[in-house]
Amino acid sequence: MISGKYLLRRLCYSGASFFVCITITFFLLHLMPGDYITNYLLSLSNTIPQAAVEQFRHQFGLDLPLTDQYVLYIVNILHGQWGYSYAYGLPVFPMITGKLCWSLILLLPATVLGILIGTVIGAWSGWKSGGKKDLAIFNVMIVIRAIPEFWWAIMAVMVFSFYLRWFPLGGYSSISVLTTGLSIPDVLYHAILPIALMTFFIATGNYYVMRNSMISVIGEDYITTARAKGLDERGILWRHALKNALLPMVTITTFQCAAIIMGNVFIETVFSWPGIGFLTTEALTMRDLPLLEGIFLLDSLLTIASMLLADILSSMIDPRIRMGNDE
Amino acid sequence: MGLIRISGLRVAFSTCSEEIRAVDAVDLDIRSGDSLSLIGESGCGKTVMGMAIMGLLPKNAMISGSIRYGDQEILSAPDRTMQQIRGKEIAMISQNSANALDPVMTIGDQIAEPLLIHRLLPTTEARSETLRLLSALGFDEPETAAGRYPHEFSGGMRERILIALALICNPRLIIADEPTAGLDAQVKSQILRLIKKQIASNRTLFLITHDMGTASFLSTRIAVMYAGELVEAGPTKEVLAMPRHPYTQGLLASLPSAGLHPIPGMSPAPAHLPKGCRFCARCPSATDRCSTLHPPLKETSNTRQVRCFLYD
Amino acid sequence: MSRKIILWGSVAVLCIYIGIALAAPLIAPLGPTAITGKPLQPPDNRHIFGTNNIGQDIFAQLVYGSRITLLFGFFSALFSVLISTGIGIVIGYYGGLVDEIVCRAIDIFMPIPMFPLLIVLTTFFSPGVIEVSLLMGILGSVYGIRIIRTQVLSLARTNFVEGARAIGASDFQIMYRHILPNVMPIVMVKFVSASQHLLVMGVGLSFIGLWDTSTIDWGTMIQNAYSQGGIALGLWWWILPPGIAVIGISLALAMIGYSFEEKFNPRVEVNRI
Repeated sequence: MISGKYLLRRLCYSGASFFVCITITFFLLHLMPGDYITNYLLSLSNTIPQAAVEQFRHQFGLDLPLTDQYVLYIVNILHGQWGYSYAYGLPVFPMITGKLCWSLILLLPATVLGILIGTVIGAWSGWKSGGKKDLAIFNVMIVIRAIPEFWWAIMAVMVFSFYLRWFPLGGYSSISVLTTGLSIPDVLYHAILPIALMTFFIATGNYYVMRNSMISVIGEDYITTARAKGLDERGILWRHALKNALLPMVTITTFQCAAIIMGNVFIETVFSWPGIGFLTTEALTMRDLPLLEGIFLLDSLLTIASMLLADILSSMIDPRIRMGNDE
Repeated sequence: MGLIRISGLRVAFSTCSEEIRAVDAVDLDIRSGDSLSLIGESGCGKTVMGMAIMGLLPKNAMISGSIRYGDQEILSAPDRTMQQIRGKEIAMISQNSANALDPVMTIGDQIAEPLLIHRLLPTTEARSETLRLLSALGFDEPETAAGRYPHEFSGGMRERILIALALICNPRLIIADEPTAGLDAQVKSQILRLIKKQIASNRTLFLITHDMGTASFLSTRIAVMYAGELVEAGPTKEVLAMPRHPYTQGLLASLPSAGLHPIPGMSPAPAHLPKGCRFCARCPSATDRCSTLHPPLKETSNTRQVRCFLYD
Repeated sequence: MSRKIILWGSVAVLCIYIGIALAAPLIAPLGPTAITGKPLQPPDNRHIFGTNNIGQDIFAQLVYGSRITLLFGFFSALFSVLISTGIGIVIGYYGGLVDEIVCRAIDIFMPIPMFPLLIVLTTFFSPGVIEVSLLMGILGSVYGIRIIRTQVLSLARTNFVEGARAIGASDFQIMYRHILPNVMPIVMVKFVSASQHLLVMGVGLSFIGLWDTSTIDWGTMIQNAYSQGGIALGLWWWILPPGIAVIGISLALAMIGYSFEEKFNPRVEVNRI
């Protein structure tokens, strides 16, 4: 189906991208003023016995020449040993993956709903483009997107949580958790507002792309040909327009899925939701470089993988690209 | 019997600053069994004529006049009525652009589509009809071809697919808009022979083209269009042998076989049409009257019409 | 409402913002850092927007803060556009090996997520606003290079460029005099939309504390109000002004951007109010 050569090429590029990321993090880590060790151990205690420093150095291979350290670093990364956080003193990789689950609670429903809603409204809006309803929706979307995400979050908290008291002010569980333990309905209750907001935002992005896609499809000659066959408007929409308009969406939504994992720094921070986004803000406040680098590496991995997946998917779906052409 | 009777058709498009009169008070009859060519240069309004018959003009077009199909008025007919007619009774072979066919649908499905839309045949019979038509149009392995996608075919094959689309429901009238545009000479002659065999011999054909050669090969009558109006009409052989209107004469003189003498000047911009005869500025036989008065279309004999003061 | 009114209205709003930023000392004599009143005072005659938790004048903070926010937005957009246009024109014009190499490099760099990289880099450098905006510009220019390059590729092969070369114009002259003016429309559109994007992102970044939290700009104002309980206590005057200020300029820039896009790219049928 797809040419193996094309696939190999794309894999190489993806690998190269990831290596660039690792190299960047490696050099930054090593260019930090002071020693990685000193910085790390400082978080443990004030006076560091020299013996401990030596042992640590040796264990982490910091007494090796730079190139050897680089190789060791790469091997470590591939094995999941991503260093230790300055602030928490815990290994970075398990920390991040632990928080990832929490982020996913928000992201999965929001992404699915957001894509669905955005695509449907975008398709409809594009189909009726130029009409009053389309323009109304389009203008509304522009306004929504112009307002920053975190502001929407703050306003939502203010209106729904503070004034109306429909939802909690943030966090992922109520005080009752101290006595009753973590309950799923409680967590879900806390998740509703952040999920709603994320859905909102993801939908506007999808709306815009789908609408543009639909508009360009409508102008194509094969739509006129279909009309000349005597197909009615609904028939044209369902049999020809939709399929062609959805094609570019596959690529874009795949890519979007990974892009939003980090995009929700804002929403998680405002709602104090203990996911990766919130972790990012905390790490930033404490200037915790290893943790931030870990988050960066994870995000790079996900983004690169999703772009690769998007390429593969689109070449599988679009009959024109099945030959595996470049560009 | 007049299959299509166009009377006083006017199509204009309005842009922010000006009004463009694409078709200006055209009367045209297409008789059943005829094959009529509409000849003119790009921008003279001939494609608009084809679209007007099909009811496919864009929403911002200002249309007036009448087009009768049999005894039915179709110019002002509602969309639903037109959808019954399109593809089934009047079909169009659209210009063969790169995107005239849906890229994500197999050509077999696309050709069978009109049959299914108009509920003429159930799916399996529609399929076999598609294969039969593909075979008749020169596809060696219709089964395999039907499962392929448009981009897998060359320009000439795609043109055949467009012809198949038009023929599948056995329509009474076929409108062909520049069917050989962009094809090289050998493919072009194959397609023309195909059209003559399949269409022109037993159906009514309305051919829109700028190519005199195509017109003379396929049609029994010719109508010449210039700047939105008809300037000459008549049986093909007569018009080509003895062209009356200076524009037609100029067109014939500009053919390679006649010596490639181009007509000087350019056709008038549709937004700024001159007051008198529209060909006046380029006409070698123009008189003073031509620049101030607009000549009407007159019948010079039983079968011929000319719009020119020279034949008053 | 006609499109022209919206466009000119947005431009007017933009000018007002810039004017306010420039004339800060004149408009807000109280100053952003001085403690001029009791903490958490609602708006009154002296403090148009009231005071924050330390007793500083919110209005003055808003006015002085606009300088940093606007500076960040426009500078990073400027850097981004300068870099992408410069590189795009050069590789589109010369083509060949240079083009190949840069395109491969872009292919490798494009998937790298900008946001976390920015965070990592600023943690490392601990820079000020200007440095962050430079960084942002560099990171953000990657997408633009492709677009400019595509335009330049077709331009560079046109007849008038050949003609210019034939009469002995140097490469630089051709790029500057012939190609640059032709890509200007796209560059303008990119600049406006980048400004909007990056300005809003800048407020967001300062909200999560990317640079020194003692700088007073709209992001830190919102952060301050939010984390110190502005919402929980219902102190609307503390948190609303900076937010609404951001929305105002963001909308204005968005409207200008869309109008430009419509004018220069009529294929995208956007608005027809």
